[in-house]
This record gives sequence, C-alpha cells and structure tokens, in this order.
Amino acid sequence: MSAISIPVAAAPAIATEHLTRRFGDLTAVQDVNLRVAPGQFFGFLGPNGAGKSTTIKMLTGLLAPSSGRMQILGSDFTENPVEVKRQIGVVPEGMALFGRLTGSEYLNFVGRMYGLDRDTAAKRSAELLEFMQLTDQPKSLVTDYSHGMQKKLALAAAVIHGPKVLFLDEPFEGVDAVASNTLKAMLQSMIARGATIFLTSHVLEIVERLCSHVAIIHRGQLVAQGSLEELRAGVAAQSATALLASGAAPGDQPASGEKLTLEQIFLRIVGGTRRPDQELSWLG
Amino acid sequence: MREQFAAIGRVRWQLFVNSLRTVRGRLELVARIFMFLGFGMLGLGGSVGLGLASWYFASHGQPEFLALLFWLIFLFWQFFPVLASAFSENIDSSNLLRFPLTFRSYFLVRLAFGSLEPATAIGILWSLGIVLGITVAAPSLFFVAALSLLAFAILNILLGRMVYVWVERWLAQRRTRELLGVIFFLFIISFQLINPLILHFGKRAGPAMSHFSAQALPLQRFLPPGLAADSIASALHGDFLRSLGAVLLQCFYSAIILGLLKIRLRAQYQGENLSEAVARTAKPAARGAAPTVGWNIPGVPGPISAVVEKEFHYLSRSGPMLFTFIMPVVVLVIFRFGSARTGDPGGILARAADLAFPVGAAYTLLMLTNLVYNTFGGDGVGVQFFFLAPLRFREIVLGKNLAHAIIIAIEILLVWLGTCFLYRPPSAEIVAATLTGVTFGLLVNLAAGNLLSLYTPKKIDYGTFGRQRASGTTAIASLAIQAVAIGLCALALIAARASGRIWVATLLFLFLIVLAAVGYILVLNQVDSIALKRREALITELSRA
Repeated sequence: MSAISIPVAAAPAIATEHLTRRFGDLTAVQDVNLRVAPGQFFGFLGPNGAGKSTTIKMLTGLLAPSSGRMQILGSDFTENPVEVKRQIGVVPEGMALFGRLTGSEYLNFVGRMYGLDRDTAAKRSAELLEFMQLTDQPKSLVTDYSHGMQKKLALAAAVIHGPKVLFLDEPFEGVDAVASNTLKAMLQSMIARGATIFLTSHVLEIVERLCSHVAIIHRGQLVAQGSLEELRAGVAAQSATALLASGAAPGDQPASGEKLTLEQIFLRIVGGTRRPDQELSWLG
Repeated sequence: MREQFAAIGRVRWQLFVNSLRTVRGRLELVARIFMFLGFGMLGLGGSVGLGLASWYFASHGQPEFLALLFWLIFLFWQFFPVLASAFSENIDSSNLLRFPLTFRSYFLVRLAFGSLEPATAIGILWSLGIVLGITVAAPSLFFVAALSLLAFAILNILLGRMVYVWVERWLAQRRTRELLGVIFFLFIISFQLINPLILHFGKRAGPAMSHFSAQALPLQRFLPPGLAADSIASALHGDFLRSLGAVLLQCFYSAIILGLLKIRLRAQYQGENLSEAVARTAKPAARGAAPTVGWNIPGVPGPISAVVEKEFHYLSRSGPMLFTFIMPVVVLVIFRFGSARTGDPGGILARAADLAFPVGAAYTLLMLTNLVYNTFGGDGVGVQFFFLAPLRFREIVLGKNLAHAIIIAIEILLVWLGTCFLYRPPSAEIVAATLTGVTFGLLVNLAAGNLLSLYTPKKIDYGTFGRQRASGTTAIASLAIQAVAIGLCALALIAARASGRIWVATLLFLFLIVLAAVGYILVLNQVDSIALKRREALITELSRA
C-alpha cells in the first residue's frame, strides 16, 4: 500500500527523519518521517503492535532509536535531551507514578523536577488537584487511587510545568465519562493557547472529535499522515482508482455526499477486512 | 485435572527457560545454583546430624530428648520461609482463577506448587534422617517412626501453607500489610531480646522461671513436635496405644489446619475483592487549603532536594524500613544486656566498651544494604519519570545518595547517643576513627550500590515485609562488598587499638576515603551513560505487575 502523505508547511513542533527501532530481528518502527506543526492536536493511530507506543517512547526519551533523528521544537533530542524534556509533558503507557506519595506530594515533586520553584510548584499542584477533582482524599497514597484517578493525576503531572508539546499515550483509557470530559476540555484549552498535543488512542471517535491531524502507523511503517480532510480525500481517490481498475461494485462506500468516518478511513488504510474462511465456526 | 496440573508445570518450566534469555536471568541461575548447593548441604548435613542425635537418644534410653529435635525441625520449617522469602516461589492465585478449575483442583494446585520450597525439602530430609537414626537404634520401630514423621511432615506442610495464605490475605491490603510488618518486627526484636533479658534478670527471676518451665514443658507434649516425639518415645517404652494416640492427635491438628486453609482458599476461589481503590466521598473537596510547599535543603539544587524529599516520604511510610533503622540501637541494647556472665556492667562488650560505638556504626552500615543496592526498586513504574524528567540521571542518583547519607548520619548520631547512655561516651579518638571508617564504608557502598541498582534492579514494595524477592546477584555481590569493607575497617581498628595507636586507623581510613571518593566520582560520571544503555531493562524490570 502506498503511503498518503501531505506536506506540512509550518516549522514542525515534532519532526522525525527515518526513525527506526529494531528489537533483535524485529523492526518495530521503520523509517518513520513524522511532521507535526505547532498548535496541532495530532492523533497517532495504528492497530495493536503497529509501533505506536514504541514511537512515542522514542519521542519522549524512554527508548533509544536504532537509527534516524528526532526534533522537538527545532531541538535535536539526542543532542539536547535535557532542553527538549523541559519543554514537553508526557503521560506514558505506565503513567510513571510514585505509588507511595500522596497526590499533592507527587505533583509537587514533579513540578520541582521540572525546575519550578517551591512556591510555584505548590500553588500549581493545589490548582491541578482541584481542577482534576482529586482533593477528596488528600492523605491517600497514589497507590490507593482508582485507575481513573491515577490517569487524571498523571495528566496533571504532565502539564504542571506548562509544556509546549504534550505526549499522551492512551490518556482516556479507564477514565469515566465525567473525567474524560474534563480532560478533553483541558486539552482543547491548551491547544487554543498554542500547545501541541500528540495523542495515541484506540478510541477512534475521540481522536476524530479532538484531533485536527492524524497519522497512521501499520507494521512499523507510517502509511498515512495529514488532516482528516486530506486523509478522506486520499482514501477516496485511492478507492476510486482501485474501483476503476477492478471494475467492481462499490460495496462498503458511504452514500454519495456522506463523509467517511475516521474508523472507515483507518480500516481502509490498514486493511481491516476479514476473509469469510477466517470465521471460527466452532465458536458457539 | 491431570492436564491442568501438567499445563501449570509446563508454564513454570517455560517461564524458567525464557528467563535464561537475558544475561540477568543467567546470573540469577548461577546465584540459585549456589543457593541450591547451600540448601543441599544444610539439608544433608542436618539430616546426618539429626539422624545421629536421634540414634543416640533412642539407643541410650533418653527418648524424651527427641522432642528437642522435632522442635528444631518444626521451627525451621515454619520460620525459614518467612525469613528467606527470596528463595520461595509462589503462584498468583488471580492468574489461576481465570481458568475453569474446580475448587478441588485449585486447592491441590495451591498446595502442591506452593509447597515446592527449600524449607519443605530440608524439613523432609531432616525427618528422614531421624527415621533412619531411630531405625538403626531400634529396627522394630521403623514403622512407628515412619508413620509419626509422615504425620509430622504433612502437618508441617499444611501449617506452612495455611499460615502463608492467611498472611497473604493480610498482606493484600496496605493497612493490614503495614500492621503485620510492625507486629513481625516487634516479634523479631523481642525474640532477640529474650536471651539478654533472661541472662540479665535470670537470677532475680529464678523461681518464677522454674515455675514457668514446669508449666510449659508438659504443655509442649500436646503440640505437634512434642506429639511426634511422644509417639516414638511411647513406642520405645512399649506403649503402642499412646503412640498411636499421639499420631492421631497430630492428624486431628492437621484436619483443623486443613479446614482453616480451605476457608481461605475457598474465599479466593469465590473471587474475593480486596481492592484498595479510594472510594469517592460525598463531602465536597476542601477549598482554599494552603498548598504544601516542598523541602528546601540549603545549597542543594531544587530537583535534587525534591528527590531527597521523595526518598524520605517513601522511607517514612515503610514499616519495615523504619524498624530496620532502629535496629542498630537495639543491637547495642542486646550487647549491653547480653553478657555471658550476669553482673558484667558492660554486657558482651564489658571488656571493650570503647568498641560499642564502632560496633553500632558497623551495624548501621550493614543496614545500608537494604537501601543502596536496589535504590530504584521501591520506585517501581515511577522510574520512567526519571527518564522523562529534564535532568541528568546522575542528579537523580546524587539525590538518592544524599538522602541515604543523611539517614546514615542520623543513625550514627543515634548510635552515639545510645553508646553514651548504655555504655560511656566514646573517646574522641574512637569517634574520629569510627566516623572516617563509616565514611569510607558509605562511599564504597554508594558506588557499588549505584552500579548494582542499574544493572540488577528488582521491584520491591517498601510497605511489605516478606515476599520480597531480591535479585540473587545483588544479594551475593552486596554481601561480599559489605564483608570486605566492614572487615577491612574492623581489622584496622582492632589492630590499631591493640597497638594503642587508634589514630593510625583514622589515618588509614582517611587514605581509604580518598580512594573510595575517587571510585565514587568515577562511577557517578558513568551513571548517565549506563542509565541510558540500561533504561529499557530498568523500566521493564521495575514496571512489572
């Protein structure tokens, strides 16, 4: 499948060149060239095992690339890791929480590790805890929080220093609808103030609603990148070409004038169709 | 059911084989081989010794002393798994409960695989030694000895599992876990104090002690080790009915233990919920509360202060760690009252009271092992943050080292106060030698600890006592380093003291401090590159569920 790629005009907030990561014989991520413009809400999608988490780990310094380059806000990550890390916020896959601190202690700690002075760290911690509605149990340790509360705390920690670029790995997983709404509002207000957000999620409806731009990775390779409209147009053009070449009837096409959903785009791009002989006939 | 047993056995074997894919896994195997050899020698040596002792008691008309041997086995069987949890493997029941196992299968799996531990193997070997010893002394008693020891072994296995599953239940929740940790440490401390207190107050409490012994001795005959001994002793005296009665009483105890074990495993099987997630309260969030400001350590950059503060929060919430911290003072108390001859004013250190301070300080250094050799172990998944934060890794390590050095300084101060109170204030010479020796030991430990923490990390829970599987490589390496560093200091101090020139030891330690400081700085300079190379392994190991 040929990649659908649309050039981004502005100087990128995140840029990678031939980013590659190998684990022994397995190439988890191969030659990924990402371009994310400042101020974009960018969704990074892919099926399980496609290389999303590996890519986000490399972009945030949790994993070393085997080859290729990464630039965040114009700085090379390998050359200036500390400077780059100062400008980014991350909610990684495991949330990176310290279980035996209270929520307030944890946020204070994170704030100071990002260079905030004691008073600012304390003030922002209190504000964030209140915003995230985590003030009910001030003495509770993080290890005793529910999964959703831990997710909110991890997000609060990721933004305490006011990052210009935010990396979120499955931020809405396990978060209830009320909390999810709060988080979305916060993220959208960050975008409105000029921050860039790079998000991975399996919930395509959320990505479609929040993100202006999307990239899709499949089997370690970037197979699509651009705004939702551009992807729609690209998929439609590819489908039309394929239909013309095969002369087949347009089976799963949306009705005339109807927009392709992100899920439809995603399934077309990663080839999510199943053969009838794959049915598990023994299943009750 | 046989298929399920085989599948569990297979998966455990596959887990073992897969662990050998990494260098760390192979090092663990080497460490385990050494441990296996050690346990093998303990099992076989103990078996021969107990066999000889039982032969002697049975053939010299002193069968009542057999109870001593059975008590030894019993105490070892029940307490060794708690003290040496690093060597025991236990399966997580939640993994098994996903599968369609009947309660009977689940019960047998937990019992069978849970009993595969060194204490069971050693206990059985020792029991076999006793059977052999008695059979050699009185061949006609083979059947009785074998039956009695079989009942004794079954009781021990069941009791061990029963205690484990109940303790496991209490350890499943943080609050009960910490409470249990406190009780356990109080028990350990009181256990250590029994002998010194008996020695110290023994004369005054003589009649009371004799009365207690007179009451306690007959009682022990109704406990499992006493019953096992009694069944053999009765058979030796030709009273087979009493012998059978003792065996049946053991079986009765086993049935009660089995019942308690079943209650716990049934609760697990039925999917008990021990979740500790915080429930949302109806009360509104506290507004306007003054934000808590972090620590400020003069002259120390903010991020490093934050690491120190975080370490103190962690350690102050760890029951096991807090009790470890008071142990050096407890050791001084034990030495003070633990004289072999009552009436000596200085206890064990009566003739060398000036060594009380260095001895306490050396114990404090030993205590470091728990802290510095697996410095990221307690952080768990939080270690990811250290790689995300805009800091060089050496700054984080420096923060942790600083926290540990402050703890040691406080400990040394406590030991000094304890020495002044329990013995006499140490001389300036001894203080100087001790402080320089401790500084040398501290630097060596920190340098080695930083390396081992990066190369052989192991996730631990500061709130849990027991069930903490330290890396075997770290355990052996740290033991060797501690032995060399403390041994060197002790030799130098004793030699200098014998020659009446303690200042020579101080001078030697100052020289060693310079060497150790160079080594520490060299290691610290390498920390960033090692951490970057090891980050994936470190994160993977510490993020394990």
